[in-house]
Amino acid sequence: MRTLIVAALAMVIIGSRGDAQGALSTQGLGYPTGQMSARAEGTGGAVSDFDALSLVSPASIAGVGGSALFFQYSPEFRRVTAGSSTANTLTARFPLVAGILPMGQAWTLGLSSSTFLDRSSETSLVRRQLVGADSVNEIETNKVLGAINDVRFALAWAGSPALRVGGGFHVFSGSNRVNLSQMFPDSAKYISTFQSARLSYAGFAASLGFEFHPSRAIGFAISGRKGGDLTAESGDTAIGRARLPDHYSASVSYDGITGANISARVAHDAWSSLNSFGATSVRAFDSWDYSVGAEASGPRVMQRIIVMRAGARFRTLPFGFNGQKVSETSLMAGLGVPLARDRAAFDFTVQRAGRSAGGDIKERGLVLSFGLRVSP
Amino acid sequence: MKSSSLLLRSLATAALFVSFASCSENLDSSGVCSVLCPPVGGDVQNVTLDAVVFDTTVQSLSGLGTEPGLLLASRGDTLDTRVVIRFDSLPAIFAPKGDTVRPITRVDSAYVQLRIDTLSIKGAGPVTIEAYDVDTTANDTSSAPVLALFRPDRFISSQSFNRADLKDTLRYYISNAAVLAKIQNKAQLRIGLRATGSSSSQMRIVSTEGGAPPLLSFRATPDTATGPLIVVPFSRTPTGESIIASHLSDYTVIAKSPPAGTPSNLDVGGLPPRRVYVRFNIPASIIDSATVVRATLLLNQIPNSSLDPTDTVLILPALVLAGKAVTDPTKASQIVADIALDTLKVTPGDAGLKQVELARAFSVWRTQSPDATARAIVLKTFTEGNSPLEIRFSSSEDVLALRPRLRISYTSRVPLGIP
Repeated sequence: MRTLIVAALAMVIIGSRGDAQGALSTQGLGYPTGQMSARAEGTGGAVSDFDALSLVSPASIAGVGGSALFFQYSPEFRRVTAGSSTANTLTARFPLVAGILPMGQAWTLGLSSSTFLDRSSETSLVRRQLVGADSVNEIETNKVLGAINDVRFALAWAGSPALRVGGGFHVFSGSNRVNLSQMFPDSAKYISTFQSARLSYAGFAASLGFEFHPSRAIGFAISGRKGGDLTAESGDTAIGRARLPDHYSASVSYDGITGANISARVAHDAWSSLNSFGATSVRAFDSWDYSVGAEASGPRVMQRIIVMRAGARFRTLPFGFNGQKVSETSLMAGLGVPLARDRAAFDFTVQRAGRSAGGDIKERGLVLSFGLRVSP
Repeated sequence: MKSSSLLLRSLATAALFVSFASCSENLDSSGVCSVLCPPVGGDVQNVTLDAVVFDTTVQSLSGLGTEPGLLLASRGDTLDTRVVIRFDSLPAIFAPKGDTVRPITRVDSAYVQLRIDTLSIKGAGPVTIEAYDVDTTANDTSSAPVLALFRPDRFISSQSFNRADLKDTLRYYISNAAVLAKIQNKAQLRIGLRATGSSSSQMRIVSTEGGAPPLLSFRATPDTATGPLIVVPFSRTPTGESIIASHLSDYTVIAKSPPAGTPSNLDVGGLPPRRVYVRFNIPASIIDSATVVRATLLLNQIPNSSLDPTDTVLILPALVLAGKAVTDPTKASQIVADIALDTLKVTPGDAGLKQVELARAFSVWRTQSPDATARAIVLKTFTEGNSPLEIRFSSSEDVLALRPRLRISYTSRVPLGIP
């Protein structure tokens, strides 16, 4: 069994490295990273409602154990294929940082920040333009950098081993720096143009989460986030207002097998509330997110028990392409290594995602997540 | 070492390697732009306007002697230009090698060293260059009194050259006695050069402003161990105006030049040099709200075959910086800035549509109110004052189809907002 898991992990790594990258996922306001820790990603996101380091359910921070600082780096290698054309990109993300502090036996405080929608992208397009009496090639470059981030302050209560309750207050902030240049070939005749804008976002939301463990073998979790207003400004001018999408999720976790955990999760995000921003070029769709995964104690290496994880996830992305929903199917595998006599832990997950909006445009993503948890 | 430990170390190493390799972001997904990247920027719009509200030919008032070259020409009835070189300060003493300083009592091997722009030479036949004493107390900037001094009683010397003798450095020998007389009389030596010959000739001599001034050289002793004395051009007059005096250390005098075009034309170049002043009225909707990608002044050239009709002339548009207070277009045409606008290549004998690129002017006009600074340009030749060639264009007084027009290509600014 152990050999099989290791072999599967190696196959995912080796098989995915060669073909992965893309741009279907950067439509609209950007790509939702999922706000999950490397551990939760390793199970396809199925344990995220129970995972203290993920920014999903505020109740989960009550299960952190000791105080923890967490930092995650998740580069994504993407490949987009459209007919015979391909594009390879690499997006470097730092999607999650968290600090959790238990306060006595029952209460736990958490402050986390995660990438909510990442809009980083760059494209160059050659256009034929009639300028005066001459037809010339114009190179149009559009570069967008930045993201909307979710900063959550959470407080959780665990009155008994069976019940955990938490609430969170979210501040959404961030910016997109947008640069558009139109370059013409002969600077003596033509003037190339450059436009720049900085869009900033601000919004609020509140979340609530419950965990119920009727026995040691099974647990249930539900969580929800109610979105408030999200405003967008360019300079000092408000250019749009929308409701942050409401989010609901429900999970079940089974621990009946010694040393193993199997989880499943379903979540819904009402992304269509962002359509009221007023932009018309890209439509947002409500999305369902299904995931299933498992983690199990693996081999003992250098006196450490390695935790092996695997999972699968299916969801639709918030922003469509050509009016069609973009679906994402992901397979994940990962491992967790305790370090420094359990005062630190390193989690590594490799995620292979396939995205499609119908037609012949395909997108492959290989996301590597490196998470480091330290207990001061 | 156990195989599991080795595997763990290998995985850790691979993870470390991948994490380092992924530190450099590459977001460019242009490869699939034909499908996934709809154009964001606006389409280029082209519009041709009768935007010229005023155009005229004006004199270039850069001043006598400011040119980087001295034009010495004898083109029959068409062109006759002379060169004046002033040596107003001549040495009266010299120091023989190994001896004490003593007064100059003799002059030997006197010559003026001239730097010739060999590419400017016209005429294949021999040319004779005559030198005259053109010292006068007349007004410094008046040409007529100087031209009147090119007469036999002022003759100094003469030297003939074949075309092959005209190298980039030319020694023009002059009368030793004439130089000595000026030294001993403590007078100023002002030499006027005139080209003569059986055939046409023309050459450009590099001036003081051009960086290689004519030099007077002579020996004060036949002993070759003592080096020659070198005198640079210098003008004492006009008194109290050192800048003008500096320009007048060497300059060109026009005795005869080709006739100018009709007043209704726009004439660029020629001798004396002329410029074209053009003022525009450009719609605010284009200047303020759009991004100008290209702007072209469309001119109709009128052929001018009076002199070297197939020679190339470079026309350089310049931006007028004069404020509204400067109402005289001649004066406004002197307050200009070259802003790397494109150069127009034309020949005087050509005709038809010519395009002068003005896009960079719009970058400046966008930041300036037309109430403060007129939106105007000046056309001048690259060799202004150094070439007799004149380019002629139709003005706004001509028939509608031949009048100057402005063609503007622009894009509308797009809002970079929420997608």
